[in-house]
Amino acid sequence: MKRYSRVGYTLPVILAVLVHAGALVLTMLNLSFSSSEKTSSAVVHARLVKLETTTDQAQQPQESAPSASSTPEPEEESTPAAEETASSRESEEQSDEQARQSQQEARARAEQAQQLARQQQQEARQRQQAEAQREQEQAAREKAAQQAREKAQAEQKAAAEAKRQAEQEAKEKAAAKAKRQAEQEAKEKAAAEAKRQAEQEAKEKAAAEAKRQAEQEAKEKAAAEAKRQAEQEAKEKAAAEAKRQAEQEAKEKAAAEAKRQAEQKRMAQAAAEASGDLGSEISSEQQSIANARQAREAANGFMNLVRRYVEQNWSQPPNISSGVQATIRIRLLPTGELVDARVLEGSGNASFDRSALQAVRKAAPFTELSKLPSAQQRQFREFNLRFNPEDVR
Amino acid sequence: MSIISLFWQSSVVVKIVMLILLAASIVSWVVIFQRGMSLRRDRRELEDFEDHFWSGVDLNELYRELPSTQPTGAAHVFRSGFREFNRLLPKARSNDAVLDGVQRAMRVALSREESRLGRHLAILATISSSAVYVGLFGTVWGIMGTFQSLGSVQQVTLGVIAPSIAEALVATAMGLFAAIPAVIAYNRLVSRVDELMGRLENFAEEFHSILHRNLQGRASEEAA
Repeated sequence: MKRYSRVGYTLPVILAVLVHAGALVLTMLNLSFSSSEKTSSAVVHARLVKLETTTDQAQQPQESAPSASSTPEPEEESTPAAEETASSRESEEQSDEQARQSQQEARARAEQAQQLARQQQQEARQRQQAEAQREQEQAAREKAAQQAREKAQAEQKAAAEAKRQAEQEAKEKAAAKAKRQAEQEAKEKAAAEAKRQAEQEAKEKAAAEAKRQAEQEAKEKAAAEAKRQAEQEAKEKAAAEAKRQAEQEAKEKAAAEAKRQAEQKRMAQAAAEASGDLGSEISSEQQSIANARQAREAANGFMNLVRRYVEQNWSQPPNISSGVQATIRIRLLPTGELVDARVLEGSGNASFDRSALQAVRKAAPFTELSKLPSAQQRQFREFNLRFNPEDVR
Repeated sequence: MSIISLFWQSSVVVKIVMLILLAASIVSWVVIFQRGMSLRRDRRELEDFEDHFWSGVDLNELYRELPSTQPTGAAHVFRSGFREFNRLLPKARSNDAVLDGVQRAMRVALSREESRLGRHLAILATISSSAVYVGLFGTVWGIMGTFQSLGSVQQVTLGVIAPSIAEALVATAMGLFAAIPAVIAYNRLVSRVDELMGRLENFAEEFHSILHRNLQGRASEEAA
């Protein structure tokens, strides 16, 4: 059987003392790190100054002696080595005198340094001013160039816009003519009236509402008089609606464009006259206008995207009578995920409503929402979507 | 601004408190190391003895093998129980009297063992509960001194107050430094002592049942 020696106390004592020594060393390390950082703080500095003023005057020369012996060294390094050793011996012997001398020297050097610093500051200030002037000039030049470029662009855009409008008008006229012919087949009287109204509207250009009314009237009359053309008419109506929307948008855009152009012209004039200060204001204004335009375009883009996604995912139930439509209310998270979709106005056909809801759910994560600016995001957190079987091609 | 400089800057009472706490911390660590090693050694000894005991060795031989001077642990329990058994067997009339005597002797040995195993653990318990308060006392005393000296100062800035409060707080830090290891080690060591005592009691019961079996066999032989 093994014998076990008793556990004494020497080893535990040694271990315990080692533990404490280790802990002490650790705290010293930590505290020394932190204290080296703290020496630069203002509080400690202020305290040191106060201590110095309260101490006796007699201490000062003693304290300054080591610093004095160290200060002349760099200066005398330039002189020959023999001289240096002699002077250092002297400094050791007559530390008080040397201290005073070195203090004077130090003061003189400090003054020189201050003067130098002041000169440098002045120079720096002058340089900065020159720099600033140069920058201002450059900025003004750049701004003028940019404005000229922008003006050219705006003019180009305006020209393109005008061309587009002309094209649209031509298209409109063609459509009106086709419609007129169709209506002539139905009844001459209705056709004549519609023609007259259509012509009037074409001349007015801006009166989209009137046109729609005219179309509606025409449609009503046509429906009352010729039921067999109802489908054709409905199609035409849809086309007209789309066209009207496009027209309205175009008009709005044109208006905004014209406004912007006018503003730009005014700004260009102002910029040509005024200095850099005004230029920055104008540029910021321009930027805000551009931002607003961009946001509007992004919103339109988002709406179109949602519409396309939903259409792609929509499988209409068979044998749906034409003219039914349902409105779905959609609520989204800021990330574009679907929170809730419900039928706001039912079509009266349950399967149709269900198919619409399913389409929304399938298309659901509209991740483009997160890319919109926050103002638009809030606007699109909740919106309605109308389902019309004739919209889908 | 190290611990040592803070110590030298502090007042006499705080210095004494810190010295007490340092001593308490050292003592607690000595106890932790000593008890830890001792308990590990006791457990190994118990395992060895149990192996030897259950290896089928003759009990008289085992008794003779044991050192005569103060054995520890299971050997102590076995020795006191077996000696009492051998002494009582020729004198006692009934088997029950013998078994009672053996049980009493082993109970005494067990309680001796328990007190031996748990020796000095009370120191750890005391340090763990009191060191925090001692440190707190040092801190409060130091802050009292700080406020007293603040009364004579015209302008009070953070630079005046902060160092002395830091000095005072060192006492609390030291108290916690002494108390936390003591609490942890106390709980751990107590649980180890409990475990060892449970094993010793089991051994005592088993040994008792062996002696009981022996006596029953002898009684039936006598009856026959």
